[in-house]
Amino acid sequence: MSARFCLSKVLAGALLLVVSSAHAEPLAPHQPYVQASVGVRASKVSDAGYDAFANADDLVQVSLGLGSTLFRQQGFSLAAVGFWDYGQKNSTARGSATSLDVHRLTVGPELRYHLLPPLYFFVHALPAFAHTSASIEDGVAQVTRYARHWSYGLDGAAGAAFEVYGARSGSIRPRLWAIAEGGYGFLGSTPLDMSPDSGQGPQRPASVDLGSLSLAGPYLRVSAAVGF
Amino acid sequence: MNKLAWLMCSALALGCGGRPSSWDTSFTTANSQSGLASAYGLTGSVAVLDTSLGRVAMLSSPSTLALASTAIDLGTDLAAARVSSDRKTLFALSRGVQPQRTAHDEKPQLLLIDGGSTPRFSRSYTLTEPMNQLVLDPKNEWAVVYGSSGVVVNLNELVLVNLARTGAEALSFKTLLSFGGNPTRFTFTAPLAIPGGEPRRFLIVERDSDLVLIDLADPERDAVTVPLPSTDAGGTASSAQVVYDADSASIAVRVTATTSVFMLQLAAPTAAGQDYSVVTNLVDVGGQPAAIDFVHNAQGLRLVALVASSAVLVDPDTATTQSVLMPAPFTGIRRITDELNPAAMPGTDGDVALLYGPNITKIAYFNLSGAPGALFRSIEPYDIGVSVKNVIDVPGETYFDHKILETPNQQFYVLDLHTRESAPMKTNGGLTLEVAPDGERVWAYNPGQPGFASVDFAKLHPVSLIAERAVSSVFDIEGPDGHRTAIALHLATGYNPGFGATVLDALAPSTADARFYSGLELAGVK
Repeated sequence: MSARFCLSKVLAGALLLVVSSAHAEPLAPHQPYVQASVGVRASKVSDAGYDAFANADDLVQVSLGLGSTLFRQQGFSLAAVGFWDYGQKNSTARGSATSLDVHRLTVGPELRYHLLPPLYFFVHALPAFAHTSASIEDGVAQVTRYARHWSYGLDGAAGAAFEVYGARSGSIRPRLWAIAEGGYGFLGSTPLDMSPDSGQGPQRPASVDLGSLSLAGPYLRVSAAVGF
Repeated sequence: MNKLAWLMCSALALGCGGRPSSWDTSFTTANSQSGLASAYGLTGSVAVLDTSLGRVAMLSSPSTLALASTAIDLGTDLAAARVSSDRKTLFALSRGVQPQRTAHDEKPQLLLIDGGSTPRFSRSYTLTEPMNQLVLDPKNEWAVVYGSSGVVVNLNELVLVNLARTGAEALSFKTLLSFGGNPTRFTFTAPLAIPGGEPRRFLIVERDSDLVLIDLADPERDAVTVPLPSTDAGGTASSAQVVYDADSASIAVRVTATTSVFMLQLAAPTAAGQDYSVVTNLVDVGGQPAAIDFVHNAQGLRLVALVASSAVLVDPDTATTQSVLMPAPFTGIRRITDELNPAAMPGTDGDVALLYGPNITKIAYFNLSGAPGALFRSIEPYDIGVSVKNVIDVPGETYFDHKILETPNQQFYVLDLHTRESAPMKTNGGLTLEVAPDGERVWAYNPGQPGFASVDFAKLHPVSLIAERAVSSVFDIEGPDGHRTAIALHLATGYNPGFGATVLDALAPSTADARFYSGLELAGVK
């Protein structure tokens, strides 16, 4: 009981220290001109077409981001951000090895609100472009079959960023941010008409129809960013 | 603390949700040890067993060179599969979930699949106990399942399924009174013209030392058990062959290790409550016969027994015998009267039979239409240079007068019964023959090799084809618009297992325009 009371007092004290020091600083240096991030995006893909390539519904991708503040108005700012997410899944479909490569590029505006200089919340709606390359080892044709397609959609998310390290105002040293966001990524479905590359395998091979694949689903992204 | 838990749950929620277990189930088809074939040819589709998922992939050809796969569940633990004699229906007997733990556990069943160009589930019959064996009536009126595998097994219990009915009322449970034998073979008769009653069909069950006659007009009635005669040495004999003549309601049994043929005559009832009576007779034919069959000659019905180098004719009424010397010790006989003259009237026109044997390089035509004194010249031999293992009928209405003579080596003969000309076909490998259901051509292949061939009966012109992968079997099916498609199946086992097919126009087969299909095991996985 006393330990909990002491912990509460320490946290309250730390928050007061942050708030008091934050109020003492100007906001602009904390609204980064340029911000680069690296992180992990975890999506839940419940589409049936995904089953041939993954044992579970998760799709984990490495995520690289780049953003730049375009406009500032007191606590609000508008930034242009972009992300490149890449992930791969390997599995088997009834004993045949399968693989799925996913590249996802999203670019668009992000609206930020600094509750405190080292803490801001954001929302964004980013047009998305994804390239999927699905493959399956065909033991009968003795060839690898592929379905490669582009698909388009939109990522909508909200999140928060906290400045975990930053120099005092006036310094040009970078500031480090921890960012977390959650949202829903919509992508159109693409056909899984698996065919060997030209010239590979038997003559006149019919495609193997595995239905269609949509990578739409909720996602979380956590990343670390460096901003100037 | 509560917030942390919420975050963890949210993170876990992203990853939760697996895929159906069928994706993790590798494709395996039936092996020969199980008594199941990997694929069955029907009129409009090919059934490929997918035993690991308890289903069948029905391959059909919606248009020329196109192939569609339809997955149909067969039931858990497939025990037997058979194709009806008209090749229109696939019968699948499954044991279901054993042991049963809940009321929802799948029960044993006999499932029927329509094998036309649009394959679909037809109907099923739920059984009370798991059974292992399935026998089909050539006339598609009955099916028999037997050979249960429970804790207590009644080896002589048969379940007769009346295919004209549905549901539980289609099933008749029949326990055969036994003198110690088990069912070994079944013969469904045509309607037998028993004096004093309506013609009725019988199921003849051959057991170790007796025969059982089940009246299919009333299968609930007591069956008639007829003990087989002893061997010549006084031991227990067993039946080797059963033949019958419908018009005279006569049955003949070739019995092992005896020089006698066992004759049964179904006659008018002799006691109240009977529908018929059975009169038995034992006729010595002078040696152990290799084959028997009923034929008609100018004097009436006769039983032919092939005994060494003699064909012995037995009059069923008087048990008198007449022997004719054969030019070789033939061991096989096949009546070909209908093929030569479809309008022949049994009993007035004499039969013609084809004689053959696996150790004789001759065949012979046995013409029984001559006068009794001309019997000595009634057998006309032809030296074809190879022995004949089996005689395969050709269906359809065009080439029904052709027979395919299958040899023990790498040859087969197409025999025109009318012209008596035979066309030898030599293959460069082993031989499996598949006659097209339309009776226009025969396909020959060697399982495991990429080569296969088509021989059309019109010109007897063989077309040799080399697929791009090893062929496990070849089938000839009809599409919905009447086009015919040849399907050469490819099975892959081991790493990356699956199955595929090379699809050709059966009427003009050419690998230059054939299409290759694979990944068919993935169709309908969910």
